[in-house]
Amino acid sequence: MKSDIPSQHRVKAGWLLLILLTGYAVFSLLAQSIEVFTDLPDKDPVTIHEARIAMLKPSLPVFGEVGYVTTVENEKIFAYERAFQNVEFLAQYVLTQYTLAPLIVRNSPDRPLVVGNFIDGPPAPGFLEKKGLSPVRDFGDGLILYRRDLGQ
Amino acid sequence: MTLLVVASFFLSLATGLFMMLSLFPCAKPKTGALLLCLFAGGGLGIGISSCIYFICLLTGMARYTAAIDLTVCLASLLVFLMQRRGKDLREFEDPVSGPQSSSQRESVSGRKEGGPTRLLRSERWARPGSRLQVLTAILFSIELIFTLISFTVAFLKEPHGRWDAWLIWNMHARFLFRGGDLWQEGFASGLDWSHWDYPLLLPLSIARGWTYTGGEGNLPAVMGYVFTFFILGLLLTSLSLLRGRIQGYLAAMLLMGTPFFIYMGTSQFADIPLAFFILATLVMLLFQAGSPETPGATILAGLAAALCAWTKNEGFLFLVIVIGSLFFTTAYLRGWNSSLKRTAWFLAGALPILVCVVYFKTALAPANDLLAGSSVSAISSKLLDPDRYIQIAKAFFITGLSFTQGLFDVRTGMHLTLGPVNLLLLAVYLLITGVWIEPQDKTGLLQTLSILFLMAAGYFLVYVLTPLDLHYHLMTSLNRLFLQLWPGIILVVFMVAGPSQPGASLFGAPQMIPTRPKVKDRQGKKTKRKETQ
Repeated sequence: MKSDIPSQHRVKAGWLLLILLTGYAVFSLLAQSIEVFTDLPDKDPVTIHEARIAMLKPSLPVFGEVGYVTTVENEKIFAYERAFQNVEFLAQYVLTQYTLAPLIVRNSPDRPLVVGNFIDGPPAPGFLEKKGLSPVRDFGDGLILYRRDLGQ
Repeated sequence: MTLLVVASFFLSLATGLFMMLSLFPCAKPKTGALLLCLFAGGGLGIGISSCIYFICLLTGMARYTAAIDLTVCLASLLVFLMQRRGKDLREFEDPVSGPQSSSQRESVSGRKEGGPTRLLRSERWARPGSRLQVLTAILFSIELIFTLISFTVAFLKEPHGRWDAWLIWNMHARFLFRGGDLWQEGFASGLDWSHWDYPLLLPLSIARGWTYTGGEGNLPAVMGYVFTFFILGLLLTSLSLLRGRIQGYLAAMLLMGTPFFIYMGTSQFADIPLAFFILATLVMLLFQAGSPETPGATILAGLAAALCAWTKNEGFLFLVIVIGSLFFTTAYLRGWNSSLKRTAWFLAGALPILVCVVYFKTALAPANDLLAGSSVSAISSKLLDPDRYIQIAKAFFITGLSFTQGLFDVRTGMHLTLGPVNLLLLAVYLLITGVWIEPQDKTGLLQTLSILFLMAAGYFLVYVLTPLDLHYHLMTSLNRLFLQLWPGIILVVFMVAGPSQPGASLFGAPQMIPTRPKVKDRQGKKTKRKETQ
């Protein structure tokens, strides 16, 4: 059995190492969680955004398509995210779709009904006029439903 | 509503459990094997239920989902009871060749007999009551409670999960559930950014639960919770059976000490369910390698691997690699006949799920963004670009050592972030304890190792060929790909890590000396000394 003694110690050392390091990792995570818990807001951003967008539902069909406009031009929504510049505009668009599903929200103003989501400020001057969008209803907090003038 | 959610989970879990009990190579399951069947079967049951729900949607019978689930559950119970009765009858008629004595034959002849042998060996390895084992169990329990708290806080912080949850998985679930008869609308919507070609296991499982309750609750979070802890349970119980309880506890503790694992569990992404099915496949392969004459574990491996393909597109790569690995390693070690037989069993397990996957991919899903529009010239130019290989190799190195700590900040780029738990820790652990491979594990280990290695190689090749911006693609996905393999890597490491002798004898517990095989006498009476004593 003599030859087994070093292996016993080695195995014990290995197990001790794992116990110590995993214990440290789990405890660190717990400490972070406690810190997060003390600062938890009443509602998370997705729930807040969803409640805001849900106000549109009575004014929209359940199925079909609507358009979408926001503070920046539509093509920049994905471009900013791809360039790691700004993910907020994409998040706002995706959450609009997430809330209104199964209604399809196109990232384009070229639909008869268009959701305007201007939580980060109004679009460039003249943009809405250029796209032929006239407001149907302002829900407040930067949320406006537009109708597109099909003559445009 | 809670009761209905519990009912939906219970039916899935029970279906998977009965299927596991029918197929798992274990003559008379004791607590450890029963728990393994519960954890593995629970996940597999969720996967099967998602396929049933998919068929219900296709046939316009979604409103009858609960009744159909109940019927399938009862059918699997019936199969289990019939199989159990047949087994008992065989044992009664031929006690010498019954399951109790299979290990005895193994002791005499040196033949490997699979399940029962495993159970006896694990009992020897993990004698309950040794001080070290009790201490490890206590530490494990404390870590589990801490992890549960961390998990709950993360859920409270982001009850809808993170980006991909509401961009892909939960979004698809909403389309499936809210769409009613028009549930297929999303697939033809042209909303490419939501990746409508992604397989449906997770969205269907969520939508199925909502169908039970009739409304949308926090089911996506529950699903993340369930799969996270099923992985922990499966890792713990499988290693307990294969290598001893302490190894099982330590492996699960290692996984709990991986912040990214917990983070992804609460994120409600499909990577955690995929990690579960990958782990389940590898576990079943390890058990099938020890029971070459029984098809159960191989069929279950096929089922789990097919559910990988039903969970994420990476699962297709996994499925192909597992089939190849099983076929060639078995052919190399046991000959072509055995190889063909086992591969056929594997495919038999995979086939029912693959029918759903193939139908989805051919009839519903739009083209995949990584495959669409790839020309031969574009592929060849990427293949011949050495800079891509260097960039990917560098990302693999940094992410390989850092992924356990979480996502990279896309603004600061990739940098080495070594936390307390990472690949290096596993390497150090192996260096300290040494490598000890049991002879009967060699085949299974060869298969699982080759699968993990080929998966990493496959991911590397996908990055070489990706039509997306390489830096963007690496930054946003590589750590998740490594995490999918992480439980499997831990499994393999703990399968080969020392000690070099039975654990029970290392720490003062009664030493287990293989005894002469005990046989029942002609009247079927057992000898006084039990085999495991």
